[in-house]
Amino acid sequence: MRVSFPTMGDYWVFTKAIFDKLASELVVPPPVSQRTLTLGVKYSPEGACLPFKITLGSMIEALELGADTIIMPGNYGPCRFGYYHRLQEEILRDLGYKFQMINESMGIRRMAASIFKGSRLSEFLPGLIFSLAKLKLLDELPHTLYRIRAIEQEVGSATRIYKDTLKPLDKAKSYRELRQVKKEYLKKLGSIPTRSSDGVVKVGITGEIYVVLEPFANMEIEIELGKLGVEVRRPISLWEFVSNFNPLVIAFGLGERRRCYRAARPYLSCHIGGDGWQSVGEKVLHAKDWHGMVHLEPFGCLPETVARNIMSKTKEELPVLNLIYDEHTGKAGVISRLEAFVDMIRRQKRKPAEGKRSNLTGGRAHGSLSRH
Amino acid sequence: MIKVGIPRALLYYQYYPMWRTFFEELGAEAIVSPVTSRVMLQEGGARVVADTCLPVKIFIGHVLSLIGNCDFIFIPTIRSIRKNTYNCSKFLGLSAMTRAAVPEAPPILDIMVDVNKGRLRLYQAIYRLGKNFTPYPHKIRQASLDAWRTQLKYRYMMSNRGLTQPQAIAKVLGTSTPESQVESPETKTTIAVIGHPYLLHDDFISHRIIPRLKQANVKVLTPEMLADTTLESAVMKVMGRIQWTCESEIVGAGEHYLRSDVDGVINVMAFGCGPDSLMMDVIRRQATRLRSTPFMNLTIDEHTSEVGIITRLEAFMDMIYRKQRARVAVCG
Repeated sequence: MRVSFPTMGDYWVFTKAIFDKLASELVVPPPVSQRTLTLGVKYSPEGACLPFKITLGSMIEALELGADTIIMPGNYGPCRFGYYHRLQEEILRDLGYKFQMINESMGIRRMAASIFKGSRLSEFLPGLIFSLAKLKLLDELPHTLYRIRAIEQEVGSATRIYKDTLKPLDKAKSYRELRQVKKEYLKKLGSIPTRSSDGVVKVGITGEIYVVLEPFANMEIEIELGKLGVEVRRPISLWEFVSNFNPLVIAFGLGERRRCYRAARPYLSCHIGGDGWQSVGEKVLHAKDWHGMVHLEPFGCLPETVARNIMSKTKEELPVLNLIYDEHTGKAGVISRLEAFVDMIRRQKRKPAEGKRSNLTGGRAHGSLSRH
Repeated sequence: MIKVGIPRALLYYQYYPMWRTFFEELGAEAIVSPVTSRVMLQEGGARVVADTCLPVKIFIGHVLSLIGNCDFIFIPTIRSIRKNTYNCSKFLGLSAMTRAAVPEAPPILDIMVDVNKGRLRLYQAIYRLGKNFTPYPHKIRQASLDAWRTQLKYRYMMSNRGLTQPQAIAKVLGTSTPESQVESPETKTTIAVIGHPYLLHDDFISHRIIPRLKQANVKVLTPEMLADTTLESAVMKVMGRIQWTCESEIVGAGEHYLRSDVDGVINVMAFGCGPDSLMMDVIRRQATRLRSTPFMNLTIDEHTSEVGIITRLEAFMDMIYRKQRARVAVCG
């Protein structure tokens, strides 16, 4: 059995770790590219959202590489995501691919049985815990990266170190190796020549989870913000999502997600599917400690459209830039809007110090345009 | 007397008789907003972000038109009326969205209906709603039972007597039938129009598709004319399980009518509707596979012109008439 997952960001490291101890072989689809998107767009219904199109394209690329089984998560709920796998299965079958689709609709027990077929539980369970440790590390690594990226002297050096770390992280087979990878990564990042950190603004990224986590889908927004001297904060990650199922986190109301829900309660009191509730909460919760927020969503996203309607009317004030992605979004458009947004935040931040009659065109150059 | 405003949009078409009975039993008056107009769309559309779907923009317009005429506005949050089947996000966030978009609105009566949380929560929610009108629990109980009976009668009228929602509302509440909904004489051609009731029966949104078809001497079938069990089994046949509450209106009705002996199926969907964008594709694929019934999809938004709709309807009907003639020629 050759199993494959649609790709999302760097999480192929995690899925590879899971399948390390399983009898079935994992086919890692290539990173999302223009070809993936084009394939997806060609066979998707036109009104479907961007993650649908990209994951469909990713599935086609995996099937081309010889996968015969596809695992696509799905759930009950108002978001379209729960519906993806059923329509995608139909589309792929109509295209003539022969494969098996594993998802929750066949029942958790049968689903688990078909994935674990031929592998021993005593081997698999420690492997699963180890892969979760990798997932946690995948969540931790970028946070230092965001801080360094905003103040590095040579643009792109921090990103290069992060990308180079993924390979040893993927190869690591023990907890000791994981610690070593982390230590080395932090050491390398620490040795990058940096500028002074004043003038750095903190901008949070939130929104629909796939667009936030897949760099191709969001036009590498984290890197672009880093280039503008912005320290990115990104509370959403797969680890954060998984840790939500931890009973301790649920019982004590811990975790970013629960805190967001509590914060959003005056404006939105129930789950509206996807990450809509969290997006509203993120703005309320971080109105004090962030300078701005970038809210990402695929075009036509149901929960995020509702969230955007509510978000703009909260009492807590925080500049929010809404970026809506579909297959026609151009990178240049995204960059110029980010520049304008960051300039606006800087100007707002300077205002109290310089008084109301500050000269907006003169004075210190913020260097946003000169760095491109 | 307390006046409760009910916007004539979205869930109005499915539940109005029930809501009205409930409020009237409790001694309140139910005020319905006037029929949709262009002004409502413009005012409602200005309050929400641009890519909100058309029915929600119009809903906000209806809420705006109710301001000043009522003491409360009733916007229920119908999360789930079947286990593990949810409504679209826009219904779940509707009251919160209205509160954010129309801050000057009268207090919003919100009731959370979610059967996944158990019977007790539902009853509690009903009592909490009733507490706004009367302190006596037995009165609330009686009102909700009567409301439920009205709903069953309403549903029966549509599924067993083949009435559309506006017709059934008029009949249940004893008002006169709207002119555009008067039945046409017996005809040979039958067209099924599938879509959400708030699109099909809002003459402003749908550009009067159903009356137009009736004018052309066509018998029109709509999803509400089928029994719930028929719709659900049709969805199960195609998709295996039901994801959205509104799924039966599209996938269920579509599958049923494609396999029945109607002459054509027209699907009406709003641009930017999330569930529809996928469900419509399921039905389109099914139509392609079956190759038995002509199928047309009409996507509607606020810029859709009436003329464009008419042209497409004419072309679709011409195709069906030509097909009928060809069949007659072969048989003869």
